[in-house]
Amino acid sequence: MKLIKKGAEGDLYLTTWNKQKSILKVRKKKAYRNPLLDEKIRRQRTIKEAQIIVEAKSFGVDTPLIYLVDIKSCSIVMQHIEGTLVRDLSDSKLVRCCNKIGYIVGTLHKNGIMHGDLTTSNFILSKNKLVTIDFGLANKTSKPEDHAIDLRLLKEILGSAHVYIMKKTWASFLSGYKAIVGPTRLAQVTNLVSVIESRGRYATVV
Amino acid sequence: MLCLGIESTAHTFACAVVEKNGKIHSDVRKIYRPPEGEGIHPREASRHHIESSTKVLVDSLQQARIKIKDLDIIAYAAGPGLGPCLRVGAVVARSLASYYKIPLYPVHHAIGHIDLGKLLTGAKDPLVLLVSGGHTMLLAFMKEKWRVFGETLDITLGQLLDQFGRSIGFASPCGKNIEELAAKTSTYIQLPYVVKGNDVSFSGLLSATKSISSQKEKACFSLQETAFAMISEATERALSFTKKKELMVVGGVAANKRLSNMLKSICKRQNCKFYVVPQQFAGDCGAQIAWTGLLEATAKKGSALENTFVRQSWRLDSVNINY
Ligand SMILES: Nc1ncnc2c1ncn2[C@@H]1O[C@H](COP(=O)(O)OP(=O)(O)O)[C@@H](O)[C@H]1O
Ligand SMILES: [Mg+2]
Repeated sequence: MKLIKKGAEGDLYLTTWNKQKSILKVRKKKAYRNPLLDEKIRRQRTIKEAQIIVEAKSFGVDTPLIYLVDIKSCSIVMQHIEGTLVRDLSDSKLVRCCNKIGYIVGTLHKNGIMHGDLTTSNFILSKNKLVTIDFGLANKTSKPEDHAIDLRLLKEILGSAHVYIMKKTWASFLSGYKAIVGPTRLAQVTNLVSVIESRGRYATVV
Repeated sequence: MLCLGIESTAHTFACAVVEKNGKIHSDVRKIYRPPEGEGIHPREASRHHIESSTKVLVDSLQQARIKIKDLDIIAYAAGPGLGPCLRVGAVVARSLASYYKIPLYPVHHAIGHIDLGKLLTGAKDPLVLLVSGGHTMLLAFMKEKWRVFGETLDITLGQLLDQFGRSIGFASPCGKNIEELAAKTSTYIQLPYVVKGNDVSFSGLLSATKSISSQKEKACFSLQETAFAMISEATERALSFTKKKELMVVGGVAANKRLSNMLKSICKRQNCKFYVVPQQFAGDCGAQIAWTGLLEATAKKGSALENTFVRQSWRLDSVNINY
């Protein structure tokens, strides 16, 4: 078994499952975290991730197949997705992808799911299919406030990591999102994004 | 080249003399302490700053063994911060600059934290965790600006510690008091842990901790464990995303040992170097303003008097950096 990546929280190994190339994602103990807290976080996220990956597939969002979940070791074995991380795409491809990301996020939200970690390292472009991964921070919620949190995080990443083309990617995302959720809901959620932004870094001190 | 830096954004009135080679010749401060259990009153704080300003200024020049006329430039913290406090520093700076005809530089307070951190730690291209009274942010430098890769969605880590500390009768800043109480126990009470991608939210944690505040030590311990673990996770997410190979922590809360230890541990996993600003320069000080002023002077001329502003809210990622 080969360690291929240390993600934001999981260790990712390349392995085989029923002769299929597959991925093992393990949420290892974090020594810095209080053990009680650590245990709870790792378990909850492993369960959520497995559940919601499966659920998202049921309404047409492409996600890896889940082969095995082991709550005790906080690990998931899933389909290996061949392709390129959206974070590493060329600018023009990224702009096009953001439109698809808009469709995907719109579909998730419409079905009562927030992804919780909408960064460009959680989408893989695979043979013209865009696959969404990493549902550890996902939640079942239809609240516009929660959906706004999703949009804001993506906006933060597009405005920092991909700042050169921020305007284009964001517009491309919004048009995809709007196509699914409709203009009224779009306006409601983007207004809430502005509200969140006005609380954070724009706010005055003390 | 010598620069006088004047800081007065919040609790602290400070002056420092720094040389272009990075030598800090003096660094003098006086900190306003509100009554126990109360927050900072902007007008009270500004009165404190006015009363302290002459002595702090004179001491900083004396310790540096220079006269005002030896100064090449003056820098002041133009924001973000409390209006009445900011104006004290700005008035002192403007008066000196116009009377002695010294070029004047308005400086962004938080960028001062970052620049001084880089000077003192030697970090080259870090992901920056800025944890001060007014900021909780993860930043990386790209295309002439510090870009935000994560931040708090509501109150800052400093505000969280201060607001809880005040509710149990400490005088802010309370970080140190909380750290000391927390060290007396290791009983963890579960509290809300809210990480949203690279962002955190502390408001739920604050009210939950207040509800267990009768058990002071356990509350302090659990508050620190939870809040610092949240920050550490957000930091690890940002490190993993940006692939930076250095992490630098700056701002008042950087002095906390428990937080440093957690961050060291994530750096180990992400295979990255860990830098923390020396304790003495973690809090607000004149040196951070002076050093950024010196850096700005390498790229542009001083501001005309009528362009010297103060700005209560001033987004860090809106500042263009050309040096
Ligand atoms: N099913 C998969 N197929 C291919 N690569 C994957 C798969 N799952 C994860 N990865 C790779 O591992 C990285 C981290 O995985 P992720 O699930 O996002 O973990 P984390 O929660 O630690 O961020 C991804 O950015 C991607 O490059
Ligand atoms: Mg991920």
